[in-house]
Amino acid sequence: MFNLNSPEFLGADRPPERETPERVQAFVSRHRAFFILLAVLVAQLLLLSVQITRNRKARLIQVWAVAVFDPFARTLRASYDATTGAWRSYRDLSGAQQQNRELNLQLVAAHSQIQQLSQQAAEAHRLRDLLEFRNHLPFQAVAAEVIASSPGETSKAIFIDKGMDAGLTSDLAVMTPAGVVGKIIAVFPHTAQVILITDASSGVACTLEKNRVQGILKGGSLNLCQIHYVMNEATVSVGEMVLTSGLDQIYPKGLPVGSVAEIAEGNIYKTIKVQPAAALDRLETVLVVLKPPSSELQALNSPSHP
Amino acid sequence: MHPAILWSTVFTALLLQAFLPLKLPLARLFDFPLLVTIYFALVKRDKIVAIGLGTGMGLVQDALSNGFIGVFGMAKALTAYLAASASFKFELDEILARIALTAILVPVHGLFLFALQRGLLEVPPPFQPFDLLSSALVNVGLGLILFHLLDRFRRPA
Repeated sequence: MFNLNSPEFLGADRPPERETPERVQAFVSRHRAFFILLAVLVAQLLLLSVQITRNRKARLIQVWAVAVFDPFARTLRASYDATTGAWRSYRDLSGAQQQNRELNLQLVAAHSQIQQLSQQAAEAHRLRDLLEFRNHLPFQAVAAEVIASSPGETSKAIFIDKGMDAGLTSDLAVMTPAGVVGKIIAVFPHTAQVILITDASSGVACTLEKNRVQGILKGGSLNLCQIHYVMNEATVSVGEMVLTSGLDQIYPKGLPVGSVAEIAEGNIYKTIKVQPAAALDRLETVLVVLKPPSSELQALNSPSHP
Repeated sequence: MHPAILWSTVFTALLLQAFLPLKLPLARLFDFPLLVTIYFALVKRDKIVAIGLGTGMGLVQDALSNGFIGVFGMAKALTAYLAASASFKFELDEILARIALTAILVPVHGLFLFALQRGLLEVPPPFQPFDLLSSALVNVGLGLILFHLLDRFRRPA
């Protein structure tokens, strides 16, 4: 069975050890037939792949080529997408930060604008109420803005933005829809000074609503007023409304002054503390009552007039 | 062996392979080109020549069949290489050796064909082991006759 004369058994001279390329070449030469067989098989395989079609007439060689290159192409595409995606994310993030800053600034500006608009709306509402109130008044009145208050703890006065140019004079009553504020004590070309009813030097002829007890309202402490010259025998109750009596010829009759906050018995007269009706610490817009003709004033202040 | 004998044998084998199955149903199991390839691979004792002969034989067989070019070419190239390799290692002039070699190489050829069709075709033919075995037996017998006939034309070494 075994051919002892075959070159395989005779022991061909083995070449001595050589460098790697030469060893590879010697290896290839020794197995030349095997490599030729491989080449022939591969060539025929390629020939077959050109003939055989898959999936709607695609040639097998195309299918193989796509199968070989597809993973690399996908990997390359994925790498490219990842890189561009990272760059785009970075750029978008930078843009988002910048946009965030700008939006924050816009937001602050918008908030400020909203606040201003809210204040304007509130002022408009207030002015509308004032206008309606003025329209219902039986006398003429001029609206004025409070522009300043008198510096100093003892003097409780304010400045308004109307003066001689608006036809104001001293001893004109100043009020709000809520109640009496004070009276003008000094007039300047474009400004007037108003003393508040809480000032110690002010005085308002007033009357209590229920029993029609009359007295003089003067400024007191802690932003309260005090009614003087009310006899102890008079019946006064806490919470009772205090109105102007009109007897001082300054304040029209029947205007709200405040409400009774405290009552104390004195030697002869009661000590009646009054909480002003108008918010004297938050004055913004006031009405200055213009002096009507004396005949009208007398009619307004007559006992028959409510 | 004279080259004319070789080429005429190759031609005759292909002719018989194409003609006989029309007349004889059993002839579908014959593989004359394969037997001729095995014989000349054994006789030539040159792997490269055997590869060339097997490839050529197979390609012509493919060309004459309705299949794809290269199927039989690859199978016969491989078979020829194995036969030539065996001729270096074993003394195959003996009948038993030839029977054994043929009995091995015919199924190897058939299995390789099946593997190719399975791998390349979308709808491969079903595996039929009975046909494979039958083909091996038939071709062993046929090979003995053919090898004996062809040995007459061999020139003494």
